[in-house]
Amino acid sequence: MKRSVNVIGVGMTKFAKPGASEDYHEMASKAGRAALEDAKVPWGEIQQAYAGYVYGDSTCGQRAIYEIGLSGIPVFNVNNNCSTGSTALMLAKQAVEGGIVECAIAVGFEKMEKGALGSKFSDRANPLEKHAMVMNDVQGFTQAPGAAQMFGGAGREYRWKYGTKRETFAKISEKARKHASNNPFALFNQVLSVEEIMASEEVFDPLTRFQCCPPTCGAAAAVLCSDDFAKKHGIVNPVYIAAQAMTTDYPSSFEPKSMIKMVGYDMAKECAKKVYDEAGLGPKDVQVVELHDCFTANELLTYEAIGLANEGEAEKFIWEGQNTYGGKWVTNPSGGLLSKGHPLGATGLAQCTELVWQLRGTADKRQVPNAKVALQHNLGLGGACVMTMYRRN
Amino acid sequence: MADLRFDNRVAIVTGGGNGLGRSHALFLASRGAKVVVNDLGGGFKGEGKSSAAADKVVEEIKAAGGQAVANYDSVEDGDKIVKTALDAFGGVDIVINNAGILRDTSFQKMTDQDWDLIMKVHVNGAYKVTKAAWGHMRDKGYGRIIFTTSAAGIYGNFGQANYSAAKLALVGLMQTLAIEGKKKNVFANAIGPIAGSRMTETVLPPDLIAALKPEFVTPLVAYLCHESCEENGGTFEVGGGFMGKLRWERAEGELFRISRAITPEQVKASWSKIAGFEKATHPSDITASMQPILGNLGTAKTKGGNELIDLDLALGYEAQAVESSYDERDVALYALGVGAAHDPLDDADLQTVYELHGEGMKVLPTFGVVPILNVMMKNAREGKTIPGLNYGFDRVLHGEQYTEVKYPLPTHAKLTHKVRVKDIFDKGKNALVVTSSTSYDEDGNEVIYNELTTFVRGAGGWGGERGPSADINVPPTRAPDAVMSEKIPENQALLYRLSGDWNPLHADPSFAKNFGFQKPILHGLCSYGIAARHVIKSFCKGDPRLFKSIKARFADTVFPGETLKTEMWKEGNKVIFRCRVEGKEKDAISNAAVELYEKIPTRPAKKAAAPAAASAGGGAAAAGAGSPVAMIFSAVAHHVDTHKDLTKIAKVFQFNITDPSAKWVVDLKEGKVYEGAAAKADTTLELSQSDWLAMATGQANPQKLYFGGKLKITGDVMASQKLDFLKEVKPPPAGAAASAPVAAPAPAGELGEFLPVHVFAGMRDHIEKHPELVAKVATVYQWKLTNPESYWILDLKNGKGKVEEGKVDKPDTTMELTQADFLDMSAGKADPQKLYFGGKLKIGGNLMASQKLEFLKSIDKEAAKAAAMKVTAQAAPKATSAAASGAGAGAGSKVPEILKALADRLAKNAGLGKEIGGTLQFQVGDHKFSVSANGFAEGLNDKRDATLTFKEEGAFVDLVEDASKEQDLFMHGQIRVDGNIQLAKKLGFLNKLV
Repeated sequence: MKRSVNVIGVGMTKFAKPGASEDYHEMASKAGRAALEDAKVPWGEIQQAYAGYVYGDSTCGQRAIYEIGLSGIPVFNVNNNCSTGSTALMLAKQAVEGGIVECAIAVGFEKMEKGALGSKFSDRANPLEKHAMVMNDVQGFTQAPGAAQMFGGAGREYRWKYGTKRETFAKISEKARKHASNNPFALFNQVLSVEEIMASEEVFDPLTRFQCCPPTCGAAAAVLCSDDFAKKHGIVNPVYIAAQAMTTDYPSSFEPKSMIKMVGYDMAKECAKKVYDEAGLGPKDVQVVELHDCFTANELLTYEAIGLANEGEAEKFIWEGQNTYGGKWVTNPSGGLLSKGHPLGATGLAQCTELVWQLRGTADKRQVPNAKVALQHNLGLGGACVMTMYRRN
Repeated sequence: MADLRFDNRVAIVTGGGNGLGRSHALFLASRGAKVVVNDLGGGFKGEGKSSAAADKVVEEIKAAGGQAVANYDSVEDGDKIVKTALDAFGGVDIVINNAGILRDTSFQKMTDQDWDLIMKVHVNGAYKVTKAAWGHMRDKGYGRIIFTTSAAGIYGNFGQANYSAAKLALVGLMQTLAIEGKKKNVFANAIGPIAGSRMTETVLPPDLIAALKPEFVTPLVAYLCHESCEENGGTFEVGGGFMGKLRWERAEGELFRISRAITPEQVKASWSKIAGFEKATHPSDITASMQPILGNLGTAKTKGGNELIDLDLALGYEAQAVESSYDERDVALYALGVGAAHDPLDDADLQTVYELHGEGMKVLPTFGVVPILNVMMKNAREGKTIPGLNYGFDRVLHGEQYTEVKYPLPTHAKLTHKVRVKDIFDKGKNALVVTSSTSYDEDGNEVIYNELTTFVRGAGGWGGERGPSADINVPPTRAPDAVMSEKIPENQALLYRLSGDWNPLHADPSFAKNFGFQKPILHGLCSYGIAARHVIKSFCKGDPRLFKSIKARFADTVFPGETLKTEMWKEGNKVIFRCRVEGKEKDAISNAAVELYEKIPTRPAKKAAAPAAASAGGGAAAAGAGSPVAMIFSAVAHHVDTHKDLTKIAKVFQFNITDPSAKWVVDLKEGKVYEGAAAKADTTLELSQSDWLAMATGQANPQKLYFGGKLKITGDVMASQKLDFLKEVKPPPAGAAASAPVAAPAPAGELGEFLPVHVFAGMRDHIEKHPELVAKVATVYQWKLTNPESYWILDLKNGKGKVEEGKVDKPDTTMELTQADFLDMSAGKADPQKLYFGGKLKIGGNLMASQKLEFLKSIDKEAAKAAAMKVTAQAAPKATSAAASGAGAGAGSKVPEILKALADRLAKNAGLGKEIGGTLQFQVGDHKFSVSANGFAEGLNDKRDATLTFKEEGAFVDLVEDASKEQDLFMHGQIRVDGNIQLAKKLGFLNKLV
C-alpha cells in the first residue's frame, strides 16, 4: 500500500553564473539546511539522503551532505542528466511512499563550466548516440552546441509543420524574463523585449542566445515525510505529492525519425498521462506549472505534450497569454530554466521549491492567485522525463 | 484586378430555375454570358413539370439587361437543351450540369424506382447534356464543363445510397473527360457544393441554410468556367465561404514480391504500411498509380526462395565485420575438448595445452573454427539474423565444415571476422546454405577461412540450383596408409562445449531424449578436431603448423564413450580420411580431407606505413605513395607532427578511400598518420579519391559531401567534426616530406577518366551493329546527367537511330541521374531499378519504355572499350577539363539564369503567383527578389509576408533543380524563413526552371 508523501521543507540558493558561485558542497549544504529549517526538522530525523548532480567525481553527494551532518545515513548519488534533481526527488518519495523511511531529503546541485554542455568522456559510447543519429539523419550536424541543435531542430520541425513564426519562440523568453524579474533567486532579473531577444546572436535557427538556458551554478533541496511523521511533528496541512511518474524513451524517439519526438515529446506526453491518471485530475485542475524550458522550443512543445494546448495550437496559446498571469495557467513563474538558470542537478528540486512556495501562498510578487494544484515537468535527454503533481488542501 | 467577363460566351445551366442553378445563371449573365436556363419546373423529388421556374429566371436576367432563353426539357433529353443554345445563340461554350433531384430513403427501403430515377436524372442527364455539347466544344477548341457532385458521394451519407452512387459516378465521368478534352482546350471540373437549396432546406436548420447561400458557391463555378482558368480534372468542396480542392491520397503501401504467393498473414503483418498514411503519396494519374507495380516487374526476377529462405536477400549478404579475441586459455581448453593430451607426458600434445612449454605453445588448426562459431552463436543469441534466412535452429543440421589456416594460428589474437552467405542450394525438400567467413588478424592479414554448410530441413523446393552433388575426397580402394583409434572419454562433450557450443543436446540427457537420442551426443566439430589430431599425429609428426585445411561431412552421430577410428590415405599433399565408430560400418565423418603445407608458412610481416603492396586490387597502383592521396596524407602527417596539441582530440580516424581504394589512419591519440587499417578506429570515413582530394584541397565541403551521401561516416559521427583542422593543412614544404615521397600527381591513364562520352560511344557502336533495335524499341530517350551536367540523346525510333550529345524536343522518356551513377550503371555496378527506387534515377514520360533499355546490358564490353578509346583519343582533354570544373563552380552563375526563367514563367502564367497567397521575399546570396500575385519583382518588397534567406546559392539551385526538397533544406538550416512559414511550402513555381 502506497503511503501519502508530503513536502514539508524546501530551500535553494540564489542561482549564479559559472565562476561566481561557491563550491558545490557549500551550495548544496546551504540549500539542504534551508530546507531543514523550512521543515523545522533537525538533521537527526533524516533517515536517507538522495544527492543529484551531473558533473563531478563520484560521491560528491556525501561531500555535500557531510557539511550538514555526519550521521552515517545512506547517501545515494543520482545522475539522470537534466532530470537529475527530480529523479532524486522521486527516489526520496519512493522511499517514504514504500514505508522504507519516514523522512528523507533530496538535494540537487551543480557547479557548471562556462559555455555549452559537452561530453566529458570521449573514450566510450556517447549515451546520446541514438538520439544524435536521428538528428544526423534529419538535419545533420553543425558546430552549434549539441543541445541547441536538438531542441532547435525540433523547433524547426514544429515550425514547418504548423507554420509558427520565429517571434513566437522569442515571446516565451520575454515571458520568462518578466517572471524572473520578480524572483530574487533567479540568475537574470532584467526584462527583455521580443525584439531584443530576436536581435541576440543566433545559436541555431530559430533559437537566439536569449532563448537558450544559461550554464548555471546552484543548489536546491526538499524534505519529504510520511503523514505519521508530519503529525508527530505538528506539521499542519503540508503540500503533498498527488502523483508522480517517470518515463524514458519509447521507440518513437528514434523511428520514424522526428526531431520533436527525439527530444522527448512522447516521453512527456505519456508521463503527463500517467500523472493525470494517478491524480484523477486533468490540466484544467492545475493553476501553476514549472516546466522544462531549457530552450524556448521545448517550452512550446511541452505545452502540447502535457495538454495545456492542443496539438498545433501552441502559437495561439502563447500570443493569447494563456501561459502567464491572467491566462489559464502560469507556466514557470520562477522564470524557468531560461531566466532563473539551469544548474542541471538542482533544477528539478528548484522547480519543486517554487511550486511548494506557490501552493503555500508565499511566492510574494510571483504568487499565482488561488494556486491549489501545481504541476512539475523536468526532462533529461538520454532520456528521462519526470513529472510531479503537488496539492495542498 | 479586372473583372472576369463572359462576353460572347454561351452557357447552359441545367436546373437553372432555383437554388444553385439560378445563382449560377444570374451571375454568368450579369458578366456578359448568354445563358440557356434549363429547368423542368418539377419538384425537387422529380415530380411534376412547369415552365414557371425557368421563365422567371430568364425574366430576371433580361430585366437586368442580360441575354437568356428558357428551356423546359428534361436533362435526359440533353440534345434538345443544347439545340436551344445553338438555335438561340449559335453555339455552346459552358455547360453547368446542375439539375438534380433527391429520393432519400434507407437502402433497406429503397425501391428500384428510387434508384433508377436518381441514376437517370444525375448520371444519364449529365451524360446526355455533356455528350450533345462535347462535339461542338471540341470543334471550336474551347469548352468548360462543370459537374455537380456531393459530399454524400465523396464520403457517403445515410439514406442516400442512390444519390451517393450517382454523384460519385459524375466524378469518374469528369476525370476521364478532363483527360480526353485537355488537348482541345475543353476542361471539366466537379464541385461538391454545400448550399441551402430546395433539396436541403428540409434537413438543415434555417440559420445554417442562411450561411450556405448559393451565392457562396457560384464564384468558384464562375472562375472554373472562365477562359483564364487552367484547372482541369479537379474536384472541389465549396460552400459557406469555404473552397478547397480534393485529391487522392495513397498510403506508402507494401510491395510484395510477386514471384511467390502472397498470404493474408503477410497482408496483416504489413497493415500499417498498407493502411497507414504517414508516408503517403498523391497519385494524380494512372501512370503514377501504376508506379509501385512497375517496380515489382523488375523485382519479379527473383533468384528464388520461399518463406524460409529468400535468396534475393540472403545470397551474397555480407554481415558487418565483427571483432573477437582469444587467448592461451581458450586454445588449451579447445585442445582438451578435442581429446589432446590424454597422455600428459606426450610432448607434442602437451605443446597444444601448455602455454609455458619450452618450445612454445602450438595451436591446433581446427581451433580456427571456434572464434567464428562463437561470433555466430552470440549473434544468434542476440537475435541478429541474416536477412532472408528466416528459419530457426530447430531446422538446422551442421552438414559440412571447411577450415583453412593461412599461417600457424597465434596463441592469442584479436580477430576481425567477415561473414558472407556464399551459396544456397535447393536440394528438393531441403536446402543447403553455405556461409563463408574470413578472419583477419590485427594487421589486416587474412588468417582463417571457414565455410560452414548447414542443412536446412524443409526449406528447399523453389526449383533452384542443386549445387555440386558428386562426392569428393572418396577414399582410394587400397588399405589405409594410417589408422588411429581413440576412445572418447564419457565426459568429452562436457569438456568440448566449454569452447562455445552450449547446445543442451550435448549435455542434458532429457533434452537429448526429446531429440530421439538415448543420451547426449558428441559435437560433430569435436569429432572433427579429433580426426584432425589423428592426421597431424600420423603425417606431421605431431606438428600442427604444417596443417593447411580440413574439409569434412558430418554423416552420423558419435556418442561419448565410443571409440573413434580414423582411416587415412595420403595422396600428394592431401590426406583423405574417414571416421567410423568402432563396431559400426557407417561413416561418422565422410568425404573428408586434410591439406598439408610443404613447409610451415610464416605470418606476413606487419604492414608498414610505407606503400601498401598491390593488395587492394586493380586500382592499387594509383593509390601508392606517389599518388595524390598519399601526398595529401603526408601533408596531414606533417601537420599533425607540427601541431602536437591535436592529440587532445584523442580520436583515431580511419579513412577508407575508394576508386581506387586506399586505407589511411589519422591517429590523433598518438599523433600518427599512416597507411593501413587501424586496430580500433573511433570514426571511419569512406569517400572516393576524387572527393577526398576535393575535400582536402578545400574545393568540397565535407558537410555537403556527407549530405550528398558521398562521404560515409560510421562510428563516432560527432568526432568527425573535430577534423576541421584539415582545412589548415598546407602542402608539405619541399624536403620535409621524408616520411612519404611526394611526386607530381599521376598523369591520367591511357583511357583517361572514364566519362559518359565513352559510354555513349559504346552505345552508338552497339546500335550500329544492331539496327533491328530501332524498330524493336521505337523510343526516343533523353538522358540528363548531373554533376557535372550533360545531355545526351539516344534515339531508337527514327531512321537508323542515333546517339549524340544534346537535347531533343519531344523525347518519349527522359532519364535523369548523376554522372557517377550513370557510369556505375553502365559498368553494371549499379542496378537501374535500385537507382530508380532510391530516387537517384528519375524517369519522366513513358516509364514503360525505360524497361526496354535492357539491351544496354548486352553491349559488348570490348567493342565499347574500343569505341571509347577512339573517342578518348579525340576528345579526352576537353572532356576531362569539363569534368574537373565540377558542379560547384557553375552554381554561382546559375542564379541569374534561374531568375530570368522565373520572371518569364510568372509572366506567362499569372495564376502561379496567385497560388502563393502572399508575397514571398527571396534572398539568395546577393540576389534579392520577390514573388507574389503581381509576379516577379527584383529587390526588396515592402509588402513581403515571408522572407526566405538561402545561406548558399547552391541550395537555391538544388531546390530549383529538384535535387533537394524545401523541407530538408530548412531542417538543415540552408533556408531561413522569417514571417509566414506556410508560404515557404508553396515553392512549386521554382520547380525545374532551368
